[in-house]
Amino acid sequence: MTVVQGIALAVVLVVAVGLFTRRALTLYRLLRSGKPAARFGDVPARARAEATVVVGQSKLLQRLLPGLMHAAIFWGFLVLFPTILIAMIGAVDPHSTLPWLGAQGWYAFLVDVFAVLVLAGVITAFVIRKVQRPARFKGSHVGEADLILALIAGIVCTLLLWHASQIALHLNDYPAQWAPISNALSHLVGPVAPVLERVAVWGHVLIILSFLVYLPYSKHLHILVAAFNVYFGRTGARGRLEPIDFEKPEAEVRFGSARASDMTWKQMLDTMSCTECGRCQDVCPAYATGKALSPKLLIMAMRDQLLSGASTPIVPTAVTDDVVWDCVTCGACVRECPVGIEHIDHVIDLRRNLVMVESRFPDEAGTMLRDVDRSSNPWGKPQADRLQWAEGLGVRVLQPGEAAPDVLFWVGCAPAFDERARKSAVSTAKLMQQAGVDFAILGPRESCTGDPARRMGDEYTYQRLAGENVATLNGAGVKKIVTTCPHCFNTIGNEYPDFGGRYEVVHHTEFLAQLVREGRLSPAASDRKITYHDSCYLARHNDVRAQPRELVDAVGQAVEMPRNRERTFCCGAGGARMWMEEKRGRPINQERVREAAATGADTLAVACPFCTVMLDDGVRETGAKLQVFDLATLLAEAVERKRSS
Amino acid sequence: MRIAACIKRVPITGGRILLTDDGRAINTQHLGFTMSPHEECGVEEAVRLIEANKGDSVVLTLGPAEAVEQLRDAMALGIDRAIHLQADGQEFDAEATAASLTEAIQADEAANGRFDLIFFGNESADSGGFQVGIRVAYALGRPCVTGLKKVTLDGSSVRCEQEVEGGRDVYVVPLPAVLTVKEGLNLPRYPSVPGKMRARTKPVAVTTPARPEPRLELARLAVPAGQGRRAESLGSGPAAAPAVVDMLQKAGVL
Amino acid sequence: MTVLVLMDESDASRQTLTLARRFGEPRALRMEAVQPFAPDALAAALAEAADQLNAAAVFAAGTERGNEVMARLAARTGLPFAANCVAATPGEPVEVTRLRWGGSLLEEARLHGPRPLITVAPHTVPADTGPAPAEVEVKVPAAADLVVRVSDHVKPSTGGVSLAEAKVIVSGGRGVGSKEGFAIIEELAELLGAAVGCSRAVTSAGWRPHSDQVGQTGTKVAPEVYIACGISGATQHMAGLKGAKRILAINSDPQAPLMLNADYTVTGDLKEIVPAISAEIRKQR
Repeated sequence: MTVVQGIALAVVLVVAVGLFTRRALTLYRLLRSGKPAARFGDVPARARAEATVVVGQSKLLQRLLPGLMHAAIFWGFLVLFPTILIAMIGAVDPHSTLPWLGAQGWYAFLVDVFAVLVLAGVITAFVIRKVQRPARFKGSHVGEADLILALIAGIVCTLLLWHASQIALHLNDYPAQWAPISNALSHLVGPVAPVLERVAVWGHVLIILSFLVYLPYSKHLHILVAAFNVYFGRTGARGRLEPIDFEKPEAEVRFGSARASDMTWKQMLDTMSCTECGRCQDVCPAYATGKALSPKLLIMAMRDQLLSGASTPIVPTAVTDDVVWDCVTCGACVRECPVGIEHIDHVIDLRRNLVMVESRFPDEAGTMLRDVDRSSNPWGKPQADRLQWAEGLGVRVLQPGEAAPDVLFWVGCAPAFDERARKSAVSTAKLMQQAGVDFAILGPRESCTGDPARRMGDEYTYQRLAGENVATLNGAGVKKIVTTCPHCFNTIGNEYPDFGGRYEVVHHTEFLAQLVREGRLSPAASDRKITYHDSCYLARHNDVRAQPRELVDAVGQAVEMPRNRERTFCCGAGGARMWMEEKRGRPINQERVREAAATGADTLAVACPFCTVMLDDGVRETGAKLQVFDLATLLAEAVERKRSS
Repeated sequence: MRIAACIKRVPITGGRILLTDDGRAINTQHLGFTMSPHEECGVEEAVRLIEANKGDSVVLTLGPAEAVEQLRDAMALGIDRAIHLQADGQEFDAEATAASLTEAIQADEAANGRFDLIFFGNESADSGGFQVGIRVAYALGRPCVTGLKKVTLDGSSVRCEQEVEGGRDVYVVPLPAVLTVKEGLNLPRYPSVPGKMRARTKPVAVTTPARPEPRLELARLAVPAGQGRRAESLGSGPAAAPAVVDMLQKAGVL
Repeated sequence: MTVLVLMDESDASRQTLTLARRFGEPRALRMEAVQPFAPDALAAALAEAADQLNAAAVFAAGTERGNEVMARLAARTGLPFAANCVAATPGEPVEVTRLRWGGSLLEEARLHGPRPLITVAPHTVPADTGPAPAEVEVKVPAAADLVVRVSDHVKPSTGGVSLAEAKVIVSGGRGVGSKEGFAIIEELAELLGAAVGCSRAVTSAGWRPHSDQVGQTGTKVAPEVYIACGISGATQHMAGLKGAKRILAINSDPQAPLMLNADYTVTGDLKEIVPAISAEIRKQR
């Protein structure tokens, strides 16, 4: 019997492992064919990410019930892993087991507990999927998920039944009382134990092996690749995009992704890691307002295109143009994803190809790109007009050849050319003057940082502008920069180092908060009820969340929106969408304004010129009883209040 | 098929024009530059026609050394080669510009064959002389049709639509011809980055033409005083609506 | 001294006469003398008439057709030509002031040559009130001069008031925000029986067709009232407005060039103001 069973096991093992390996090798080769990505440095940070996200299941536990459900199954899988070997040994010879471990009572105990936990997890998962029916599963392959859950249930049930029948037959090497559940079950299965023992163990082995074969063809592949995907995630600044090297010969330059084969190996790994959980879809502002984009469906489409081996262009075959342009690059999806998928990189690479190679993008964005290229600002207005906002303020304009001030106030294009965005620059300048800060502005020598071009995918124009700005800043010997715009803040601080520009870059809310802390500015709080809107590029990409709140507390009474801090909901201007029309669904800015109005606040505080314009538009369009102010303006008002009291 | 397009480098001025101290030129500090708008459509049309009919295209400009940027922009749209007549800061009037361009065109045609079509902008954004294209056409002895919004090749002739009040006038002239076009002829493509990269290495032939004494000689430039418009405020916000309606009634349009 | 003037029925021709008279007694050559329009033939006729009359100068209105015919005359006779002048003084050399940048800049220049060729920018010089000048006879044109001639006319496919002829124009710029945003502009235009115009930024963004564009490279307009909503007023656009009798600018930025160069301004959000104006018009009906 043993020999027959031994041969049988060997056969199924060889077949299953063979099939699995063949498919796994195909996937591995596919990954190897992916374009390069520099994701091997900074090992300590990568190890930390593994520990928290993978082992600690940190992202999943943000939603408590599904998190616990998955943690149970995941940790259960880790604990129960050796039982696969034990089962295979037992399938051949019921009297044998793994040396040492197979006899350990404590291990038997763990196995029992975790088997039940896994089962509880699976039942919970079914309840969530079938009773609760969360919207995030819309578009996912629920049939596949059901099958996987059923297989997992099958695995632990057969395991428990095997243990139960083993104990009934006194075949266990571990003390039975250490396995309370199996022990209890053993009393029930007594009569059929001999048959059940063989059926259960072989059932267990066969389910596991068929699962093994099914694994690399299903979304359950994530159990193999997700841990790697998390390991290879970004360790540096989240807001930094990977530059393109245009100095190479044209044929070797990678202009983003036209076909699946253009993806980097990390992007390919992203698509293989997707479990279709839909957490990204749930937090996407575009999806929430009825646009074509769902980050989940995007990654699934890229995965299907990749695995099908099709060489047709990704856009529009697998992904429509609308989906590519709907994205506001807010990063909510990336933040939520438990398996470390970096959706923004996919969108940007699709955009890079569409813009730089195919010249295929919304017309109104083309106007912006031309203006950025020819007039050095997205408004297409003359550079000389950059001084208009500062007329009469007595702000120092740094001339070529002059020594740099302590602080270079990088104004940005919006305050220079848009009347609503102007106020924050004026307030910031006045406050810095009051606090006696030594600062200056560049005036017409400031060009657009290039962020709108970069987020649209026009990396070529971006790099030209970045190079010019770095030359200007380095030529002036600038060391520290304060800026009111989070996009300028992000690109100068996180992305300009790639082009030779290394400066200490501070957002104006951080700077002003410090001045208040140091007592150089004294505000008097008002009875304004203020809700603060976190800008995506501040709170999520760059973790600046506390200092703006210091300012809010200093000037009024704070009340938080439900989606705050790193879970903030975008105003809708990111990803160069400030210059594009929303053609479908509800406007994102109005959605956010409704959320703000629902807090009962009278003041909506912002820290970004684009948020200012978008949310102010939103207030006018919805008729909400809110006043939109930049924190600098509120602070200036509060300082004035203190002074006149 | 051979097609040439002539362009001019002009500054992007915005709302106010500032002059240099001597009042003989625009102060272009901090200004961006572009091809004059009508001409960009001429370049785009040239590229489209060559794409459809096979052949080669040339872009020409008379301008300062920096005008090579605009030549590269034209080549990024798809033009094959450029001829740069460097003016070295001197101002060429329309007559002299046309003469230099004619000479360069004739030299290129002698070496490489006749241009079936030569595109010009109807007038340049800055000096607005309305004559360079026509002068070149006469010098070459070719028919010239101006102010075009649509161009269709028809065998050995070209059908041209010129916008007039109440519609479009149609002209049909035989090739070779000279056409001056207007913005709206087409929507120029956004150049691809590979196109821009290739344009960096496409050939630009540079010569320095002699400048004859200008017969339309610039004395000085002047910014006109406010054209008597008083900018009377009728109010702010929707509350100004009654004042607006009042004004419209007084103007006799309501 | 005789001066030859290419004329038609337009105001621009009568404005041209005002400057032409400074150079001599005007004699007219009618633009309609060659039908259908053949600019080379007209240029040939002008050349011959100018020689016969020993004209001190040749003038035309700086319209599209006027400039075109005069440029051909210049090319044909090898003479210099100053287009779009607002002032011309006889002398050796002739002194002219001409428009650059569609009128945002003036060029003072000297015209050297035996016979000055000048076109006069429309709506810049008052119309002549004197008697109509005697006409010059035009011979049958040579075949070579008829190669370029109008052979057909195509009507525009769109209905509605044409921009160039409209008495009232409601125009929108970047500030309108989107294609759909033009609904309020169209609403006001309909109430006023006006044409809808736009700035270059709007056509580039694809919100409206190029035929709606007002400006140096679009349509030059001369309405009684031009209502500009959310247009900043680049020189490009302003160049198309020289002929407008009254300009009302609506903008949230009081410093926008168009706000500083308008006859009337309203500061604020056009999305609130334009519907308010429409509502007020309806109320008063």
